[in-house]
Amino acid sequence: MMTEKKLLEDLTPEIESTGLKWYLTFAAFFIVFCVGIYALVLQIDKGHIVTGMRDNVVWGLYIVNFIFFMGLSYAGALISGVLHLFHTGWRKPVIRMAELITVISLVIGPFFIFFCIGRLDRLPFLVMYPRIQSPITWDVIAISTDLVGCFMFLYLSFIEDFAILRDYRELNVPPWKHKVYKVLSLGYTGNEKQKKILKNAKNVMAAMIIAIAIIVYSVLAWIFGVTLQPGWHSTIFGPYFVIAAVFSGTGLLIILMWIFRKIYHLEEYITKRHFVNVGVLLTIIAAFYGYFTFSDYLTKWYGSIKMDSLLIDRLFSDYYSLFIFANYVGILIPCIIIAFPKFRTIPNITIAAIIAVTALWVNRYIIVIPTLETPFLPIQDIRPDWIKYSPTWVEWSLTFAGISVYGMLFMLVSKIAPIISISEMKEKDQIEILK
Amino acid sequence: MKTLISRTLIILSLLAIASFYSFSQESTKISPYVQLQYFKDNSDNSSLKTTLTYSKNRMEIPLKGMKIIFYSGNEKKNKIAEAVTDEKGVAVCDLKEKSDFSSDATGQWSFSTEFEGNDTIESGSAELSIRDVILKMDLAEADSVKTITLNAEKMENGREVPASGEMLTVYVPRMFSLLPVGDVTLDDSGNGSLEFPADLPGDKEGNITIIARFEEHPEFGNVEKTATLKWGVPSSYTVPKGHRALWTKVAPLWMIYTLSILLTGVWGHYLFAVISLIRIRRNAKKDESSDLRNI
Repeated sequence: MMTEKKLLEDLTPEIESTGLKWYLTFAAFFIVFCVGIYALVLQIDKGHIVTGMRDNVVWGLYIVNFIFFMGLSYAGALISGVLHLFHTGWRKPVIRMAELITVISLVIGPFFIFFCIGRLDRLPFLVMYPRIQSPITWDVIAISTDLVGCFMFLYLSFIEDFAILRDYRELNVPPWKHKVYKVLSLGYTGNEKQKKILKNAKNVMAAMIIAIAIIVYSVLAWIFGVTLQPGWHSTIFGPYFVIAAVFSGTGLLIILMWIFRKIYHLEEYITKRHFVNVGVLLTIIAAFYGYFTFSDYLTKWYGSIKMDSLLIDRLFSDYYSLFIFANYVGILIPCIIIAFPKFRTIPNITIAAIIAVTALWVNRYIIVIPTLETPFLPIQDIRPDWIKYSPTWVEWSLTFAGISVYGMLFMLVSKIAPIISISEMKEKDQIEILK
Repeated sequence: MKTLISRTLIILSLLAIASFYSFSQESTKISPYVQLQYFKDNSDNSSLKTTLTYSKNRMEIPLKGMKIIFYSGNEKKNKIAEAVTDEKGVAVCDLKEKSDFSSDATGQWSFSTEFEGNDTIESGSAELSIRDVILKMDLAEADSVKTITLNAEKMENGREVPASGEMLTVYVPRMFSLLPVGDVTLDDSGNGSLEFPADLPGDKEGNITIIARFEEHPEFGNVEKTATLKWGVPSSYTVPKGHRALWTKVAPLWMIYTLSILLTGVWGHYLFAVISLIRIRRNAKKDESSDLRNI
């Protein structure tokens, strides 16, 4: 049984001191970020000619990353919301990570839209002259609403921890951090009335972010679904995107569990049981995701509409290896690893998660790019590089810059508050005492 | 020895830098693309059009404000006009008042255009040989069948001869571009006809414009005849006031209702969360003040 004192002793050292490894890792991320900034400056100066995007393929790596990061965000929201509402016993050490995935992904994702827009000066027009018939307007409204909601839910879940850290006399942090804890804890003392108010607010927001996550990611899917492009015009794109998002988010949660467990020595808190439980969740979602993928491609293939057939031919020729990796390897390997108890070790489950997340990114790529490379109107005497997309180093640099910012934000947050919620763990403690 | 080597290196470096600059200036000079076209409109007014562009990053960029000289004649060139290119890189020479240009033995006119170039752009020129053609269009309706009859005669050795075997295209202007209605190939007497479709929408009175055209013809250039008459199906494109659709300014009502309900629901819950935070803060303040009173 863990007391609050032990929890604080175990989880606060990461807030109190920063080691050389932390600085080195942060510096590595920062260098990647700076290369991305250089690439961005080059793109602003020279224009989109420095990217692989041309007349036909007007959405490239940036949109792939946007969908991917937004998917991670909604998955984080769904997982944290569901785990919170259903009071799942094993949730406590992982729920904070899921909440952070939600907010950090949601902050990074929209930047890729800005990279993709050729005329950034026209961006305010979206707000100045909105047309609510446009799915782009729905997306702007949905993402901003989601961002506010997720920040509020994250803050609500942090209040108790801020109060605990504020009252922890032995916490050796600079005075400004003490001030931050004092201000952000809102004077929370944990009396019955405050507990009740906070619990109600968290429950309401947990339910709300689940609903918003589903709506918002469906809106993103509809941006593709409502167009008459081959491969996009599909009625199941909304639920398909939601399932795919949860698949990638669950995978990322496992990867982050492994990283933080290793770095902050949280073996006592994040155990094999947590990996297996989240792994089983990943397998179930993988099965759903596989079902949706098969259903989508089967109906397109059987329907034999000319453009759909052309697209499927392209997927099984130019994109053969990527298609097989995204839709077979990425689904079957995680299922096989986690389905057999013999393979259920922490490293194996983490490898399965890495495969799942990578496959999902590739899946986004083969949803966006091959469709744009299959235009409705035949084009004669066109240069191959005008229709065939290949990302340039500028796009890759900005992609890796996005990932590095992801890492940096996680590292910075872990210096403000524990990566495992002390209040949640303490709650478990009380339940066990009652039992 | 050391001094000699260092001096040699300095001289070589200076030479390298000088040659780099001189070569780089050479290579930055733009090679323009000059295109010369001949046009003859419905009123038989002729003109020459020169387009001056260059290629950059596989894009055709117009050269604006450049002086273009137009000439007639083949061996002995006579300057007929000067013009400056506009924003699209186009300079036009109206041939209406300048009909004194000479033709060769077969009756063909020779034209040429020149751009002299400047410090940054190379010079360029283009040539064109044109045979005058007289195009006539006749529109007749009999038993609800609308027929376009075309006749073309070209000038050969000072006399008009039928332009047999040549092909014209008939168009109808639509919202974004010209709709090809059909092709007409002229017979031995220079005549050809085409049945006009009866189901093409016109304006609200049925007016429709018909264009018959030799397009980029190697001998005649661009020659056209147009006519507007009530051969279209009367169509009204006015959208009823207050109509709501995906493409109108105001959205359909169901969409506004759905969005309003969703946003009110969500932001209402956010408001509840904010009020909860305020209540927590107030409760904490109340506790603090009662603690102080107890002290």
